[in-house]
Amino acid sequence: MLTVTDVVKTFNSGDRTIKPVNGVSFSLEQGSFAAILGKSGSGKSTLLSLLGALDKATSGDVVVDGVNISTLPDGKLTAYRRDDIGFVFQAYHLIPNLSAKENVMLPMEFAGASHATRSQRAAELLNQVGLTEEMHSRKANKLSGGMQQRVAIARALANNPKLILADEPTGNLDDETGEVIIALLRRLAHEKKTTILVVTHDQALAAQTDRKFRLARGKITEDTKNPA
Amino acid sequence: MSVVSRSVGNAFRNKIRTSAVVIILAVAIGLALSMLVANQAVASKVDSLKASVGNNLTVNPAGSRGGLGGGEPLTTAELTKASAVEHVTNVTGTLSVRFSNAAAETNTSTGGNGPAGGQGGPGGGFGASGTTSLESAVEPGSLGQRNNSNGSSGSSPDSGQGPVAAPAGFSIPIQATGVSTSTTATGAAINVTSGAQLTDFAAESKQALVGSTLATKNSLTVGSTFTVQDRTMTVTGIFDAGTEFDNNAIYLPLAATQTLTDQTDQLSSLTVTVDSIENMAATQTALTAALGADKVDVTSGSANLDSAITSLGSVQNISLIAFIASLVTAGLIVLLIMIMVVRERRREIGVLKAIGASNRTIGAQFVIEALVLVVMGSVVGAVVAAFSSNPIANALVAGNTSTSTTAVGVPGAGPGGAGPGGGFGGGEDFTRARGAFAGAEQLIGTVSTSLGWQTLVFGVAGILLIAALGALIPALLTAKVRPIEVLRGE
Repeated sequence: MLTVTDVVKTFNSGDRTIKPVNGVSFSLEQGSFAAILGKSGSGKSTLLSLLGALDKATSGDVVVDGVNISTLPDGKLTAYRRDDIGFVFQAYHLIPNLSAKENVMLPMEFAGASHATRSQRAAELLNQVGLTEEMHSRKANKLSGGMQQRVAIARALANNPKLILADEPTGNLDDETGEVIIALLRRLAHEKKTTILVVTHDQALAAQTDRKFRLARGKITEDTKNPA
Repeated sequence: MSVVSRSVGNAFRNKIRTSAVVIILAVAIGLALSMLVANQAVASKVDSLKASVGNNLTVNPAGSRGGLGGGEPLTTAELTKASAVEHVTNVTGTLSVRFSNAAAETNTSTGGNGPAGGQGGPGGGFGASGTTSLESAVEPGSLGQRNNSNGSSGSSPDSGQGPVAAPAGFSIPIQATGVSTSTTATGAAINVTSGAQLTDFAAESKQALVGSTLATKNSLTVGSTFTVQDRTMTVTGIFDAGTEFDNNAIYLPLAATQTLTDQTDQLSSLTVTVDSIENMAATQTALTAALGADKVDVTSGSANLDSAITSLGSVQNISLIAFIASLVTAGLIVLLIMIMVVRERRREIGVLKAIGASNRTIGAQFVIEALVLVVMGSVVGAVVAAFSSNPIANALVAGNTSTSTTAVGVPGAGPGGAGPGGGFGGGEDFTRARGAFAGAEQLIGTVSTSLGWQTLVFGVAGILLIAALGALIPALLTAKVRPIEVLRGE
């Protein structure tokens, strides 16, 4: 369960104060697949960084399963990102000189899992996202965009997070591959009961989600025209 | 995949850059190791030089050295005075005398060729203090005849014999040293090859040590007897001093020597032990002042030692500074490379933080990556050092000694003033200075280096420490990279 209450983020730019996120409130049930739609510069990525504890809100609360991450110290935020959040980025951000499997094993290594456990679970996750065995040992920078995004999704799932935040996950992919990735995220949300929040400006992607929010000038509204 | 294996992998991510960094590091580390090797080689050379000369000073009556020159003998009172000088830890006095062969003495006396007894007499240049039953192991030969005839010409000009002939049946006198401990006149231990050292140093002692060739010549073994003046002495030991001349000698207890030769309370030289080699010069001055510059000459073991140690000291300083400078250079190379790497991988660090890596894990990953580069640089650097340390050490020693020579030579021209006289004076000083440093160079000889495991471990430990410090700053910089970096530009 994710609850966001009146979150504000301000930046100082010269003598001006910018509010990319200005009083955002919403909540998501566990296992829901939701999208936040918005134009470039609408504050989507800023909101995502606040939800994923990559940055701290100026005011307001972000509560994940009863824990208010707005008030957590830095050390606990690292643990929160490691155990409770999974990230999927538009540019995948895999470690290029590591193999697909090694990339998936990384979050588990940080969580202190044994090598055998990491190796076995990474192989399972890669199979789940549809990456064949022979691809597991291939270097990340030798994989296609679609394959890299599958590996990124497997990496996001590594520590069984409560929430997966995806920033334009199909932005660098062709339509067909994008469809496959969306279907994969949707299936994972329902099968694993993981809350998945996708930030995008892609209407086609948003149409596949259970709930849609629109972000404009730092304010969020839920689109109720096409409820899941 | 662990932090270590990931770090090793990262070190080889850009192979061309890694190779370039390793080569640059190897040069800096090789230079640092070479300097360390040179420093240690020079340090051990200085130690061996100091050990070879020891920290002894010799006090002789002013104007006298060995059996030559003139002046008044030293006394026990002067020995006591010398003992009271600061930094002096021990003073031993010795009395050197010569004994002529009793049988030859009788022959020449009956021949009436000179005054009887041991005072100057037939010994001439070899003035003897008494007689002994021992027969010299050294034949007079041409040199002995010449020395003796020269002496005769000086001592008995009115004898009518002229400078031509040494007396028939002349033999080289036996050198005897009266000692109060089992050491030679220069303070070194007497090398007894059979029998035992002297133990009874009383005036009526009958103990004696006999040189090996002298013992052979006179068929003496431990326990044999011979006479000195009218006393029968017993051989307690046979010694080997290493040369024909020195082995044609005997050691007697000091008090016995003084009594037998009627030189009570007299000493021919003092050996002063100084507490450390650094106080040698000061003690030499203090001793001269205490005993009177007109009464004694105080000399150290080697006049060239100071200049040798000074020039080696500068080499040691230069090599130490160069070692530290090379280490700092290696550290700076690591620092700059790692700063570059951290800047290059800001986004990757952001990703690692976003997926849960702690600052410590990321910092450790970068430190290990730097250490991998340094270890590779050290291995290549050690090979570089193995080939370059010897030429570098020798070039430093040779270069520094000649620099000192020039530096000392030039001021000599100044006080001489203008004109040809001044020029000549300068030239003379220059030659003298060259002479002194040539002596120093001879003392130094060659400085041989070896890349021992201790040097290697010490050097590599120093390099790793500097490298770790160099890598630490970039590692700390990673802590400042915010995880939101990962979203920058998206």
